[in-house]
Amino acid sequence: MATDITTAPASTGRCPVDHGQFGAASHDASGDSAEDHYGYEPFDMTDPFPSYERLRHHAPVYFDERIGYWVVTRYDDVKGVFDDWETFSSENAQAPVRPRSEGAKKIMDEGGFTAYSGLSARVPPEHTRIRAIAQRAFTPRRFKVLEPTIRENTIAALDAMLASPDATGDFLTDIAYDIPTITILTLLGVDPAMVPTYKRWSDSRAAMTWGDLTDEEQLPHARNLVEYWQECIQLVVRAHRDGGDSLVSDLVRAQEDGAEISDHEIASLCYSLLFAGHETTTTLIANSARVLLSHREQWERLLEDQKLIPGAIDEVLRYSGSILAWRRRALKDAEIGGVAVPKGADILLVMGSANRDEAVFENPDEFDITRPDARSHLSFGYGIHYCLGNQLAKLQAKIVLEETIARAPQLRLVEGAEISFGENLSFRAPTSVPVTWKA
Amino acid sequence: MTTVIYTAHDGTETIVEGTPGVSIMETALRNGVPGIVGECGGSMSCATCHVFVSDETAAIAGEMSELEDEMLDGTAVEREERSRLSCQIKLIEGETYRVTTPSEQV
Ligand code: HEM
Ligand code: FES
Repeated sequence: MATDITTAPASTGRCPVDHGQFGAASHDASGDSAEDHYGYEPFDMTDPFPSYERLRHHAPVYFDERIGYWVVTRYDDVKGVFDDWETFSSENAQAPVRPRSEGAKKIMDEGGFTAYSGLSARVPPEHTRIRAIAQRAFTPRRFKVLEPTIRENTIAALDAMLASPDATGDFLTDIAYDIPTITILTLLGVDPAMVPTYKRWSDSRAAMTWGDLTDEEQLPHARNLVEYWQECIQLVVRAHRDGGDSLVSDLVRAQEDGAEISDHEIASLCYSLLFAGHETTTTLIANSARVLLSHREQWERLLEDQKLIPGAIDEVLRYSGSILAWRRRALKDAEIGGVAVPKGADILLVMGSANRDEAVFENPDEFDITRPDARSHLSFGYGIHYCLGNQLAKLQAKIVLEETIARAPQLRLVEGAEISFGENLSFRAPTSVPVTWKA
Repeated sequence: MTTVIYTAHDGTETIVEGTPGVSIMETALRNGVPGIVGECGGSMSCATCHVFVSDETAAIAGEMSELEDEMLDGTAVEREERSRLSCQIKLIEGETYRVTTPSEQV
């Protein structure tokens, strides 16, 4: 319950013997000291959680010179920074972590690439104005209309996977890839046949903004971003010309009726939504299968009682969020958890760590779908930028779990399959989720 | 004095002194009043701050926006005529507010 958090002093519930518990048992020789950043590797998403735990205990707010960010790992501090938008702006949330190479810059300039952010890196009052207009498209009333289509798509994808003669599949590519992507393309009036194209563009966007690419590696991604942005501009042009029944045409109509939003801003919103609207939901759906199936007893509880599904989804978001870290910048000299950070400081809020803060969550490393306070997780951020698509994301994960349980209760992970995660500063996405339903 | 009287689903009453300009949702969280979650922090994106307001409170709470109206379609407990999102009601100096919290927010 959120109220417990705001009233609990930051120090309660922490182990008073700080050092002893990180003995030889919990990790190897590296990760013990400030010099090696307590084992934290900003782009390594394989299993960052032990290093988060060490950071929470030894260096909850520290400057990481390798990335140039102040890394914040305790729940109260992460939430506090999210909440204080007047001190901490999101203007850097979409900035490339690694500088753009000359070659990439050239491609993007020549391609007329002028996108930066739809909403997440905009700041008030501009953010407030655009969010109010965009938000009208993201209410439960709209989602309820979409629900039957999402369910049909889910059933079709499951049936296709389950028809595989060798009784194996990849829950990521067979199920999780398409469903949220079709949903957001439909919402924006884009032909669902474009799913592979948008997935390619989105991968480029994730790599170019949050990845650790060499100059050479940036070039093909730069070309993809140009194509992607040009398509967003075309969406707005077409909506002006043809009207239609989509979120883009709604926004264009709102503009024509006097709402204060420019074509560039609408195209930027498309650029935002066509990425944010599926990338992380794909991960949530993939993670739901991955984590639930690797905790078999909890999967079985879901089979018995489907009312547990929404709680299970929140626990997946807490335990294994799609985004583990998000960025802010200090607009003035400030303090985070008693540590002074200077004006202009870039800050990395590690929600993946906050969600496992032992001061807030009991036995935080345990996956428990009946945890009463799972919903206090910060995986959707908090405050004025709180994820606009949170309900749509959870609705889709719920439909997928319901239909999967109905069609393949015997589903399990392929034994011995190693699941890896792409390198990234923010996004933690499995690269495959091999499943089987062999008797 | 500005006062908020929260009645829980089971009838338990909590009386809190509020600060003008702060929302009913935020006042609940600051004072540990159960029954309101406020997951999104007041950005009208979660509908976990659903309350039922009294007639007197409805009169001083201000008009509900179209967006709030649409968001109320997504509450855990079915909306009623006196339903509001408590993050959208900012306290006014000297007034007393009465709200009942639903049995569930999520
Ligand atoms: C599991 C799925 C998702 C996760 C984990 C997620 C996570 C996030 C996070 C962490 C933020 C930043 C919040 C902050 O700065 O406080 C955010 C913002 C946003 N998300 Fe999501 N998101 C998800 C799904 C979606 C979907 C499905 C959509 C749209 C259809 C969406 C649209 C947005 C938008 C537009 C913003 C920017 C809001 C603003 O700055 O005002 N997200 N999301
Ligand atoms: S606190 Fe989220 S809608 Fe009111």
